[in-house]
Amino acid sequence: MNAGARAEGGARSFIVRVLRQDRPGSEAYWESHSVVHEPDMNVISVLQRIAEQARTVEGKRVAPVVWECNCLEEVCGACTMIINGRVRQACTALVDRLLEERPGAIELRPMTKFPVLRDLLVDRTRIFAALHKVKAWVPVDSYHHMGPGPRRSQDEQQMAYHYSKCMSCGCCLEACPQFLKIELTRGRDESAEAFRARCFAAYDRSFMGAHAIAQVELFNQNPIGKMSARERLDALTSEGGIQNCGNAQNCVKVCPKDIPLTRAIALAGRHATLHALRNWFDR
Amino acid sequence: MNASAASVFGQNEFVLRRWHSLTGLLPIGAFLCFHLATNASILDGPELFQRRVGQIHSLGATTLVPLEWAFIFLPILFHGVIGLIIVSRGQRNVHLYPYATNWRYTLQRWSGVVAFLFIIWHVLHMHGWVHLPWWTEHVAAPLGGARFDPENVLTAATAIQASPLVFAVYLVGVLACVYHFTHGLWTMGITWGVWTSPRSQRTANILILGFGCIVALMGLGALIGMQVQDTKAGSAQSAPAAPLEEGR
Repeated sequence: MNAGARAEGGARSFIVRVLRQDRPGSEAYWESHSVVHEPDMNVISVLQRIAEQARTVEGKRVAPVVWECNCLEEVCGACTMIINGRVRQACTALVDRLLEERPGAIELRPMTKFPVLRDLLVDRTRIFAALHKVKAWVPVDSYHHMGPGPRRSQDEQQMAYHYSKCMSCGCCLEACPQFLKIELTRGRDESAEAFRARCFAAYDRSFMGAHAIAQVELFNQNPIGKMSARERLDALTSEGGIQNCGNAQNCVKVCPKDIPLTRAIALAGRHATLHALRNWFDR
Repeated sequence: MNASAASVFGQNEFVLRRWHSLTGLLPIGAFLCFHLATNASILDGPELFQRRVGQIHSLGATTLVPLEWAFIFLPILFHGVIGLIIVSRGQRNVHLYPYATNWRYTLQRWSGVVAFLFIIWHVLHMHGWVHLPWWTEHVAAPLGGARFDPENVLTAATAIQASPLVFAVYLVGVLACVYHFTHGLWTMGITWGVWTSPRSQRTANILILGFGCIVALMGLGALIGMQVQDTKAGSAQSAPAAPLEEGR
């Protein structure tokens, strides 16, 4: 294409090391690609060049590296991967900055806490299973006109805005020492539905993670969401709930959206304890 | 852990973790402070230390034994066993995410394991675990335990002075206990939602650091006090003869 033309006037190239995997459960292996430097590249455009070339530095023809992306402006979370050892989105990882940090080469790996489907593409179902478990939505299951909702203070709106920025990318889970990988394999005689149910059951029993805890706080503060607060707190105090947090506080440091996750965890911890006491004494 | 034990733990995970958190402060943390403060009183001289030990033991075995099992041994065993399960279910990653809080998280796990092993050994070493004559004579004493005689507090100093290794084990063990307790106090404030904002968590951390230094100094005072006692002069029956009457 026009890569060569753009690179005229000092065609610098750099190496991209990618940890590849052909299929779920198969052996991962490193592969190096050489990419010609262009101005204002991000990791997505690097991956596009690699797909175009489909050729390693040794000149071997290979299948294009698979990755996932969508919005290209850090609001969907789909392109989350480990870039130069740091979990982040590929779309906002700028090549010039990466090469400043580590000259000459960029290293790409899939997230380690989720099952790899292929190359840099992982199965993030567990993130959404946790949101499902804590009922991270406002139940407005009616087609009647219900009139305007209650007024909310500026402070409340501000806090809710912070929590609502979550894009379910998985950075907080990747960095969390209490969130461990779950990778199940489908049995030979197992139907797709049965396998999915088994995965969800396993996800439900394991730590839900910081993102889901913050969403409990978001929806339990919402005037309408509040009506199912007890169900969310039941989920929060069940197996795999907030009690698994070890206060390493890595989540808040790696969150690309600067969500106050540790504040959410502390508040949710308070609410969870009060809920458990209420359940104990009022039942 | 087998599947059924894991599921019993899982079903009660929230309650067990909250009890685990609570027992760390009450009674275990409170006892740690009391214990180190009592032992540090040896800096005021063996007679005074003897008097304080005498006061505790004046309660008599029928009161003391249920008290020590209900408020010291069983809570520590519970806290330790649940703690080991917690450690086994985490995947420390400080090499990848070298943040200060992640270091403290990792150190909390290490210090917990060290403290638990140390306490099990320490109770054997000084106390002997169980005060039954045949046990003390045939099991605890041959294992090098049951060295402390409440009627003669210098036996504790003698036991610690036995070798530099014993002193070093006590130094590491006591500091692990103090770190685990004080950092646990900070995480407890988050777990129970006492300090929630990053700012209040930072303030709490500074205050707890100060408190931790004081508790650590008490521990070091107790250890150094034991190490510098002249055990030869006091090892005769003279010191404990009339501990309660000896004023200073």
